[in-house]
Amino acid sequence: MVRILLRFSENIVEKPITSQIILELRVPINIITAHVDSKGGEVLAEVPDESLVKVVKAFRERGATVSIPKLIEIDSEKCISCGACLTLCPVEAITMDEDASVVFNQEKCLGSTCSACVDACPSRAIKSVKQNNSELTANKAH
Amino acid sequence: MKRLVESSGVEVAFREVDVVTTGTFGAMCSSGAIINVGHSDPPIKIENAWINDVPISHPGAAVDLYIGATAMSERQPFEYGGGHVIEDLVSGKEVELKATSYGTDCYPRAHVKTRLTKDDLNQFYLLNFRNCYQRYNCAVNGRDETIYTYMGKLLPRLRNATFSGAGELNPLMNDPDYETIGIGTRIFLGGAQGYVIGEGTQHDPQNRFGTIMVRGDATKMSPEFLRGASFTRYGTTLYVGLGIPIPILNEGLAKKTAIRDEEIFTSVVDYGVPRKDRPKLAQVSYKELKSGKITVGDKRIRVSSLSSLKTARKIAGTLKSWIAQGEFFLTAPVERLPVDSVFKPMRQTEETPFVANVMQEAVTCSESEAVQAIAERIVTRSVNHIVVVDGNGKLTGIVTSWDITRALAQGKTALADIVTRRVITAKLNEPLETASKRMAQHNISALPVIDNEKKVLGIVTAEDVSKLLGR
Repeated sequence: MVRILLRFSENIVEKPITSQIILELRVPINIITAHVDSKGGEVLAEVPDESLVKVVKAFRERGATVSIPKLIEIDSEKCISCGACLTLCPVEAITMDEDASVVFNQEKCLGSTCSACVDACPSRAIKSVKQNNSELTANKAH
Repeated sequence: MKRLVESSGVEVAFREVDVVTTGTFGAMCSSGAIINVGHSDPPIKIENAWINDVPISHPGAAVDLYIGATAMSERQPFEYGGGHVIEDLVSGKEVELKATSYGTDCYPRAHVKTRLTKDDLNQFYLLNFRNCYQRYNCAVNGRDETIYTYMGKLLPRLRNATFSGAGELNPLMNDPDYETIGIGTRIFLGGAQGYVIGEGTQHDPQNRFGTIMVRGDATKMSPEFLRGASFTRYGTTLYVGLGIPIPILNEGLAKKTAIRDEEIFTSVVDYGVPRKDRPKLAQVSYKELKSGKITVGDKRIRVSSLSSLKTARKIAGTLKSWIAQGEFFLTAPVERLPVDSVFKPMRQTEETPFVANVMQEAVTCSESEAVQAIAERIVTRSVNHIVVVDGNGKLTGIVTSWDITRALAQGKTALADIVTRRVITAKLNEPLETASKRMAQHNISALPVIDNEKKVLGIVTAEDVSKLLGR
């Protein structure tokens, strides 16, 4: 799965764009977070790798802005398992296991759209990194 | 030991256990290393020195230097500092030394620049004047904004909490009367063997905030137990791994080393209050702290550690295996740590001004008043700020003379159209300096002073501040 950040302007926010694309392309789009009001919307969604290009294209054709947020990665060499990042994560993607090691669940992480943990890491082990190669493909899909 | 005392009692535990090992791995800012870099030719009496752009102190004669963990790089402040320099040297990395001097007849050189590794140094000793706090505060932030402290990133309105320390694994907690710890106690320090050289600065045994001063040969240490660290907007520091073996000399020590996290309490402290004595909001045990959630009033707050329990356990384990393999020998202290010393605050001979010292009566208006009436009040009372309050005197907004001028220019007559709702405020017992800083930060010229219930007590203006602080 690849995470994409969708922005809908005031002019198009009323339209059921996401539903239309799901129905039309028959692609499961998983909404992770959404902030929508009459002035516009910002939605973080997850799409299957193989459908990324056509999904991005479909959103852009309908006037939405699509960007691919970076992923958060924890460098296990640098991480000292202090746990300073734990309480800053709004979705509990970082936890501590029985032997007091910090465990990171990237599936749950909101990526660079959140980044609340990054500046809390004393050993600077947390970084925003580019998602896999699909980013390059998706950016070509204008 | 803890389990054995619980299952078989103190007597059995005393007979069966010889030594209890302990460990802690946390940020210890009062750490550093003394190095001797040798003489250059021609020689230099170093006056100012930098390693990898981090300013280094020159406490002694010509070429003795002290790398303080919190000294920050001039090029990358807050990201790289003395703690990182020590870690790099310990790791065997090459670092760049730059030094300047005024030049003397015996030390003619004025500049030197070279690259060094730990093998080029004559001495490289970790020399930490305060380490290994027995326990520490749990930090929260009662303010409306996120703050960055030496206790990490604290979210507004008590939305998270942080703590430090290993609790029941902490060295001093296992020997709280310092029966076995003092000058000359051999310890685990940074992955090698080191020594306690006395009580640490700010040692406060009567409040169970004991500390120790330590020394160890850094050339033998490991970066796994000595890590440079960065606390955003606070600065750099050094994580230090430290473990002390406690010989079980009597039943009393068997009992003391059986201490559990649920018996060790600390205070939840509001770091949002910029004072020396910050309000204590609750008492919590290390058991609660390690569970990930604490209770303050009717609030459940997520709490996380800043020190590494995982590494603390590893230190206690390593120390145990060293002793078992005959690689580490316990020592009796030459002199025990003091148990009755007091940690005094600074004697201040000049008064520090607080908001209360310059606060004036606030000129207020109600939500229902017209712009015209407010404009008249600005003129008659000759002020620039009108604080908007509700029927109970609680803050709901602020209007400035500039807002009024703009309203007239744009033909607006309703207060609701021009009022600022997100008001930056001050507290009565806040130091004037932090209030003044907040005005500058938000580019505003006054702060309404409110109490905890948002009731308006007065107003402090930039003009009054500059009169008092003289800037």
